[in-house]
Amino acid sequence: MIATQIAEILLFPGLTFFVWVAFLFDWLDRKTSARMQSRVGPLVAGPSGVLQPVADFFKLISKEEIIPEFADKFIFFLGPPLFFAAPAIGIIFIPVFGTAAIVSNEYDLLFVLFIIAFSALMAAFLGYAAAGRWSTIAMGRLIVQYTGYEIPLIIALITPAVLAHSLSIGGIVLAQQSMWYIAYAPLSFMVFIVSALAELEKPPFDIPSAKTEIVGGWMTEFSGRPLAYIKLTKNLSYAFLSALAVSLFLGGPLGPVLFSDAILQASLNFIYFVAKLFVVGFVIFVIRTALARIKIDQAVRFFWMIITPVSLIQLAFIMLVWWK
Amino acid sequence: MPSLDPFVIAGPILIVVADIIVYVAVGKIGTKSSGTGNKYQPFTGGEEQIPARGTYQSELFVFAALFMVVEAFALILAGSFASPTNLYPLLFLAGGGGVILVITWWLMLVGGVRF
Repeated sequence: MIATQIAEILLFPGLTFFVWVAFLFDWLDRKTSARMQSRVGPLVAGPSGVLQPVADFFKLISKEEIIPEFADKFIFFLGPPLFFAAPAIGIIFIPVFGTAAIVSNEYDLLFVLFIIAFSALMAAFLGYAAAGRWSTIAMGRLIVQYTGYEIPLIIALITPAVLAHSLSIGGIVLAQQSMWYIAYAPLSFMVFIVSALAELEKPPFDIPSAKTEIVGGWMTEFSGRPLAYIKLTKNLSYAFLSALAVSLFLGGPLGPVLFSDAILQASLNFIYFVAKLFVVGFVIFVIRTALARIKIDQAVRFFWMIITPVSLIQLAFIMLVWWK
Repeated sequence: MPSLDPFVIAGPILIVVADIIVYVAVGKIGTKSSGTGNKYQPFTGGEEQIPARGTYQSELFVFAALFMVVEAFALILAGSFASPTNLYPLLFLAGGGGVILVITWWLMLVGGVRF
């Protein structure tokens, strides 16, 4: 029993599965943006270049790892795996086959909120620890952007919890058996997607890693293995936040029941989940390719003056309508 | 009191341990170097020497303080779902949200948040 649960956490449907989803997300992201920009995108490694992200990961790992002279060596070493651990831990709270995740708790949504915050702060630590010029500037930008999107992100995640009267992700999925919460709280879903773009540092909110302004942003000083891990973590966060959106707004793995056999139905639920996951991912790919980067003050203004009020109004509306 | 699944604690620890083991193991593939000299200086991208640490305006700290208040507000709001009636969370939401938004809008409209 314990061995099974350990295998679920580390292999399937836990860490290893989501790492492969992260590689696939990276490939789809590149292919989508290439198509939208009249390019072909990755082609060489694997069929249609599907293994290109894996090849890039191993190429980076085999490269020289340079530790800058003034870097904080402890955080420089331990930071990338801890940064990776944040979304890796988050995914074990996501239900994939039914309403139960690999690990669940009455308040796991709050824990997931903490993980999202930890991930952003870890990125800031990494940028600061590198002690580079560009990474320090990027770290400042990252923190400022974080103060903009974190609040609406939390409020958007609270809305399904209020609807379901549960802070458990499994409980929220269970409460969506009759209707997905995107139907009741479409603005919260929109707020979540916009905030997720900022959390992932994707356009139009790629301000902390703006290549044309500050080189590689907070990742400038990283090379070799740490850079490979950081890039993988960003893609894993991509998959994790998409999975969270699926669980909280799109009914998680639940869908039409076609089989009386529990195992067959669980397999079908898994297919529903993966399909929804890639639909949400695709929406993010398209938005991020279609939009250009905005300035940091515009981003923060946008979050504080539009997105935060929208998220509060949606939550107040839900509380009024679901009055008891 | 509901029982706690031991894997709620053990699961994250397991992932962190496995993660660090894999990270150290794959570190054997590539080479590592540290030291002094041009190679180990922070990248400047051909620019003239810019300050090693960015300068920040004091308004940012006002903004950070505001963020702390709103973060606490949002987390308390998250806990209000268990309230037996929607009245108090709703009043809290309207009152707290209103006050915070008015202050934030004022701060931004007077140009208090510049970068």
